[in-house]
Amino acid sequence: MTLFAFLERFQRMDPRFVFLGMAVSIIVPMVTPFEFAFQVDERVQALYDEVEELPPGSTVLLSADFDPGSRPELEPFMRANLHHLFRKDVNVVMVTLWETAPRLVFPMLEEVAAYHDLEYGEDYVFLGYKPGVELAIKALGNNIPKAFPSDHEGTDIDDLPLLRGKQKAEDFELLVLISAGHPGTREYVLQIQGQYQLDMVSASTAVSVPDYVPFYKADQLKGLVGGMPGAAQYEKLVFPDGPPEGVQLLATPAVNVLNLGHLYIITLIVLGNIAWVLTRPRGGPATGGRS
Amino acid sequence: PLVITFVVGVVMALEFFVPHYRFKWLTDELTEWGLILAAAAYVLGILNLLQVNVPKIVRRERDWPYKLLMVVAMVVTLGAGLGQGKDGPVYEWVYKYIFEPLSATMFSLLAFFIASAAFRAFRARNLDAAVLLSAAVLVMLASVPIGEGIPVIGEYLPGIRNWIMDVPNTAARRAIFIGAALGAVATGLRVILGIERSHLGGDA
Repeated sequence: MTLFAFLERFQRMDPRFVFLGMAVSIIVPMVTPFEFAFQVDERVQALYDEVEELPPGSTVLLSADFDPGSRPELEPFMRANLHHLFRKDVNVVMVTLWETAPRLVFPMLEEVAAYHDLEYGEDYVFLGYKPGVELAIKALGNNIPKAFPSDHEGTDIDDLPLLRGKQKAEDFELLVLISAGHPGTREYVLQIQGQYQLDMVSASTAVSVPDYVPFYKADQLKGLVGGMPGAAQYEKLVFPDGPPEGVQLLATPAVNVLNLGHLYIITLIVLGNIAWVLTRPRGGPATGGRS
Repeated sequence: PLVITFVVGVVMALEFFVPHYRFKWLTDELTEWGLILAAAAYVLGILNLLQVNVPKIVRRERDWPYKLLMVVAMVVTLGAGLGQGKDGPVYEWVYKYIFEPLSATMFSLLAFFIASAAFRAFRARNLDAAVLLSAAVLVMLASVPIGEGIPVIGEYLPGIRNWIMDVPNTAARRAIFIGAALGAVATGLRVILGIERSHLGGDA
């Protein structure tokens, strides 16, 4: 087989071989873990610093808007952030705008709160899911008791000590937005950040980060964590000496899979382009390879 | 309906400019009504799902077994949730052992299809495509720790990625946001003034 024929065949490779290569690049780092050192991005550092500046006794409104599909990217940040907040004696009021989120996010909140020996109603509260997308956000901004007359279990909001005096979003020292899409960070920024000049930070899936960087640059978001690499950087800041007993880092070991996965895709792209350049007809329109 | 749209639209727009507490009470009430309607939309959605799919199942149209499975799954989940509550064993089982794994699986498949699509489609056929490809590869490399370990260029990759994100990406996104916002204002005005009536459906 000539080189030309090989390169032509390479470009028309059966997709199943591509899938197999992807599977290998995912499985190998899971079986044989390795570590690469990494820097902390300025946006992740900014989010960490924003939480660090919260005085003990503050209350944070956390909107956990993701589902099982985006769980691997956002759960690591959420857990690390809850540990960070509770470690600083900051209280958490959690809500969600995604109907599939409550069963996913409340157990995480309970688990981390139990680790820190916290009491529901005093130190943390889960208000549950609210339909209405941007209307729900607007209601959070204007009048929380009207939007959430009870928590997710039906307990009257007046019977929850943590929520006394918390009438609207600006009564919270910080809003933490953990968002996998719509509704999420963008809707919060559009609806209430500008109107009430709220301090907001956000963690999003990696694919959404380019959408939210303009908000960070405009100081509408005080910090931004993107996907699993961002969560790994945040874990490094929250647990600089490694996790304490009973706490498991989720993003730091998982980012190894991303390492090889990204490298595999980049290698495919580079080799595909080399093959295409070497096999394209000279002097005619650019062809070659399947598109 | 056009009068209702006009009145509610004007009142909600004026909320940003009228600080009086009685006006705020009015807009809070309208917001609450909207939340109730949003919840009611779920009921409409369920009825619509049944209205569209049940006749197709009865007539044994194409893919009717999948539609039947969808309707059965909806009825079982809804029944379990309404009958036993959201903490009931059946509802919890359906969420934990069917919805969660299926949802995660669907997203997991993306990795494989993206690899295949990237291999086939990412070709530097002209200067624009070459610039796009280069930016994509640089951002991908810089987003994972292994990129920073590459000799010579590794230490510069995060800076390059941040520049791409902070300058051309931010500029383009802002342009898109402003354009979209102007479009939303124009569409909102058309709806409020009754020029745009597609939201009323039918022959409105």
